[in-house]
Amino acid sequence: MKHPRTFSTLRLGVAAGVLATAALMASVAVKPATPALTAPAAPIDNGGAVYVGEAVCIACHATPNKQFTHTQHAEIFRQNPKNELQQRSCEACHGPGSNHLKDPTNPANRSSLVGFTREWGTPVEKQNSMCLQCHTGGPAMFWAGSTHATNQLGCSDCHNPMAKISETGLLKKPTINETCSTCHQQQRAEFAKRSHMPLPEGKVSCADCHNPHGSTTRALIKADSVNELCINCHTEKRGPFLWEHAPVRDNCLNCHNAHGSNHDKLLNVARPFSCQQCHGNGGHQTPLFNAGQLLGAGGAPNVRVLGRSCQECHTQVHGSNHPAGARLQR
Amino acid sequence: MNSILPGTPRSPGAESRRNWSRVLGLAALALVAVPAHADPAVGIIAPLANGMSPGADRARPLDVEWPAPKHTPTGQLFKIPFAVPDIRKAASGWDYSGQLEFGLIGGDADEQAARFRTYEDIDNGAFLNNFSLHLRRPKSGYTVDISGGGAGRNDQYYGLQIGRVNQWKVKLYYSETPHLFTNRYKSLWSGIGTSQLTLLPGLTPGGTASTATDNVDVATIAGQNVQTIRLIRKRSGVRVDMDLTKTWKGYVSYALENRQGARPFAAVWGNNPGTAPMEIAEPVDYDTHDILAGLLHSAGLNAFNLRFSASLFRNQISTLTFQEPYRIVPPAGITTVPATGAYTEGRYDLAPSNNAYNVRAEYTRAMPDFYKGYITAVVSAGSWRQDDSLIPYSTTPISLANVTLLPGGSWDSVTALSRRKTDAVVDTRLADLTLSLNPTSNLNVKGKARFYETDNDTDPFLSVNPNAVYADADPAAAGNQTRGLTLDGVTGVWGRPLNDGSGQSILFGTNTNLAGNIPLKSDIYSSKQHKYGTTADYRLTKTSSVNAAVDRETTRRTNREREKTWDDRAKLGYVNRGLGISTLRVSYEAGRRRGDEYMPTSYDDSFSSALASVPSTPGANVATWVRMNSGFRSYDLADRNQYIINARVDTMLRPDLGVGVSGQRRKAEYPNSRYGRTGDSLRSVNLDLSYQPNARRSAYAFYAYQLGRFGQANIASANGALQIGGTTALGVVTPENAVAIGSSPGGPIYPLINEWTAASRDRNHVVGAGLKQDFGKVSLNVDYSFSMGRTRIDYTYTVGGAINAANATRAGTRMPDLATDTSYLDASLRIPLTDRLSARLVYRYQKEAIRDWHFENVDQTPIVPGANAGALPTALLLDGGPDDYRVNWYGVMLHIKL
Repeated sequence: MKHPRTFSTLRLGVAAGVLATAALMASVAVKPATPALTAPAAPIDNGGAVYVGEAVCIACHATPNKQFTHTQHAEIFRQNPKNELQQRSCEACHGPGSNHLKDPTNPANRSSLVGFTREWGTPVEKQNSMCLQCHTGGPAMFWAGSTHATNQLGCSDCHNPMAKISETGLLKKPTINETCSTCHQQQRAEFAKRSHMPLPEGKVSCADCHNPHGSTTRALIKADSVNELCINCHTEKRGPFLWEHAPVRDNCLNCHNAHGSNHDKLLNVARPFSCQQCHGNGGHQTPLFNAGQLLGAGGAPNVRVLGRSCQECHTQVHGSNHPAGARLQR
Repeated sequence: MNSILPGTPRSPGAESRRNWSRVLGLAALALVAVPAHADPAVGIIAPLANGMSPGADRARPLDVEWPAPKHTPTGQLFKIPFAVPDIRKAASGWDYSGQLEFGLIGGDADEQAARFRTYEDIDNGAFLNNFSLHLRRPKSGYTVDISGGGAGRNDQYYGLQIGRVNQWKVKLYYSETPHLFTNRYKSLWSGIGTSQLTLLPGLTPGGTASTATDNVDVATIAGQNVQTIRLIRKRSGVRVDMDLTKTWKGYVSYALENRQGARPFAAVWGNNPGTAPMEIAEPVDYDTHDILAGLLHSAGLNAFNLRFSASLFRNQISTLTFQEPYRIVPPAGITTVPATGAYTEGRYDLAPSNNAYNVRAEYTRAMPDFYKGYITAVVSAGSWRQDDSLIPYSTTPISLANVTLLPGGSWDSVTALSRRKTDAVVDTRLADLTLSLNPTSNLNVKGKARFYETDNDTDPFLSVNPNAVYADADPAAAGNQTRGLTLDGVTGVWGRPLNDGSGQSILFGTNTNLAGNIPLKSDIYSSKQHKYGTTADYRLTKTSSVNAAVDRETTRRTNREREKTWDDRAKLGYVNRGLGISTLRVSYEAGRRRGDEYMPTSYDDSFSSALASVPSTPGANVATWVRMNSGFRSYDLADRNQYIINARVDTMLRPDLGVGVSGQRRKAEYPNSRYGRTGDSLRSVNLDLSYQPNARRSAYAFYAYQLGRFGQANIASANGALQIGGTTALGVVTPENAVAIGSSPGGPIYPLINEWTAASRDRNHVVGAGLKQDFGKVSLNVDYSFSMGRTRIDYTYTVGGAINAANATRAGTRMPDLATDTSYLDASLRIPLTDRLSARLVYRYQKEAIRDWHFENVDQTPIVPGANAGALPTALLLDGGPDDYRVNWYGVMLHIKL
């Protein structure tokens, strides 16, 4: 039985075309001076301040500038700015600095400049709006309303634009994984389990699966579904197969924990108990497999508790393309 | 001539022409599938690092001039940056910096235990650990970045990026990831990693007349050929990013990923439950071509992304043929040619080559004049296609009782198939719409609607031999019949030989009795999800807010026990960043899944029950028409009540000392699941300490605890008869009530005395600590972690029910614990020798102890004995499983600044 189609590929294609056309028309119609998406209606002026130029900033902040010089931001601002904002350099992010100069060391004057540390006290929304002047659209298309935005994360909770600590992305830690695990310690612990994605070994990053800047899919997954994400790497399991295994087609997480597990193959539960949580059919699927069936336990060893367990016979558990593979055995 | 130097304006016309030529050029590149690499928001990042990278990173000196460390908005310490690199200036106008680290490793780094080398490739000997070179030409903005590491090892990586700042960049990369599955595989075959596994000399394909002799031969050969089973994932790619105009960007990328090697696999013979399954190795020789192309636009009120992706998977080994070393006797009703010893080999159809395509468009428009709102729309369409040629049902020529083969009907020929090609297509479609409004300055509300569909357009595969007829299809009719049975317009003999002809699942195959459980056609799984919801985010103060969300997701599935389920979810969250030195984030989420009627009989159309209704003959055993214990629920479809609590506090105890505490409590119950998964839960507590007074000293510590539980219940099938006219505890069996009685708990097939339950409890502790301390010019770095995992599985049952009295003594009440203890210590002492040369003394200690009852005594007893000396073994478990290791290695690295 098939469901009638609600959205045909053609309709979706037309919809994509309409979106593209709308974007093109909007881009033609838009005036260059129009404020950026989600940026405040008026540029942040730090209480009526005016721009003073980066040389003035560097005169006092020479040490930070030594680090900043090696960042991508500095290279953009100083070597190839594309617009007036980028030419502002320091003040592109911190806002115009003249009021700051009036009393630069007075904590009471901190509202005269946008700061990105907890100590400085600039509201997170205001901090983020400075970043969003440039970083709109693209991978940050869904930032607003994302889990991270809802939890009031500042961009600088993950990024440090003042120093090149990471090779890319101006992260606050040397790697994506270290950055994410400063908050996601539970996930870090999962990667320390017996079977895990090769994240501690540096071969996978959190951003391989998640877009921390937002997504239309839960858990900030950067695909339309869990399965569409997993098969990006596990392409041999994509099929579609002649004989499919329903929960596999539905969601890889039915059986696996994507981060790590105490069990082989990142399984949620040890085999055969894992399989028996769905397979209550008669015959060999329903017995209570037990410790007495282990090798050397004194009873009759049972292959369903040994080695690869159910997959000793049902090897093609992700789907079979063999005409005789209805039971996923070939 | 138009200058491209910053600050020099171009004529608008020239700019426009140049921009559009870039757009067209990029589109042309995409059309000819020019290589690319993944976007941060899509595809695979392929980080350029390996297991040695963290140690090298942490040994880098920090910037001693950096002011006192500050905190992120949440209150976590910002890391003090690394020391400013030494920049050298060349006469050509290029600035450059770089470094190189190489050295010698000695000790136990050549340990071969699979668990030590699963994703790493460390060895004794000379070693180029890492290198990097960065070139900048400030005047023109051109950049070159080169990096690499692990040279010559199977976890090596290299990257090259060239570009012009803020204009374009080209990135090329190559990275290898080893995946070592086992180093205790006792191979009986040559040709591991190829399409043909040939028994080693000393073994006889098809076995000898004596199983005892075969056992001796197998044991001898197995003991002589212990091998490592692994594969290596090699990913290389190129990505081009370009600013097309001030508001449009584009990218194209191509990546080729090759996976080569083998992985553990197994093969079974005969009927269910199978005969002498033996562990073989599946060859892996995969190529995946990933192509991405996209346009990004952002200007004023609008943002737009358009992306096309293609993933082309090619399996260079489409089948695996393996020889088998035992004499397998054909089951009743099957004859082979030759009559004995015919089963010499079997064949797998391996993962089929396939293609996947996706096009996705995302659009956002801000509406500052309409409640400061915005609207976001996403449409996405994809297609997964696979059209591999099919292989025959059987490798062995066989004949079946009651079946007459017509020309072209030989089971070992593709002419016996209902079709020759897979012709499988799954289409995916997504439409997602969000409207966000800010009715007041403190309130944001959003409405969301989402549709996602997985539409499997594949025609069901019919398990039939159209070129065969039944010798006697209808036992009630006199004499042989010379026609097959018709289903879905196809006539033939239904069912299929199993496992290369050593078994069969044929309607009327070995006798003329009907059966209701023979698969006749494949199930096609499609699903549609509609999700609607709303969220509200209200700012209580400048530093605190409360948020709420409710949504319903309705899923319709084909060919599942439940056609429709709906998940309701409500979430409440609170964030306070103004609690003095702390930030609090807490949320509570409640979920409830319900659905329409649960139908265990939903698969009936795919079984022989579709051709043959329940027999009415008194005394007929109709147990095979019973599909499932009717009290059983698949947990992915079952009613479920769930809640999740998340909490996190970050506190700045001192300006140089931060602590983070987080926890999660998750619990799910399945109120209507008398059997199946009955519940699952997770408790997690995490503690982090970070101490960073200055660039010369820092330390950290963490601890994490997790307790996960899964509960399940089942009834061991009595495998008894369900006879028409028979009397059961639930009444007299008739054709009309047979399935209901047979599937009911308490009936003859699922007697309540056979009930059992199991409770799996995963308990994990992870503790870690690290220190960085400078002693004058010498600096010490130490990182330590210990991870302990325990899984305890308890079960309950009635003695004499699920387990008889004799076995209950051995079974006890639980499985042995699954246990993994892993220790890791990495220490290095960095000693500057000159301004540009330093030495790093490295010590690594790794230890793991692992206990897994799946492999208990397996390495010592790979031939699991059968019921008696003459019987085939229960299994050939040739993979000895994971093993403990303890490794100490030492290294001397020289670090050179270029």
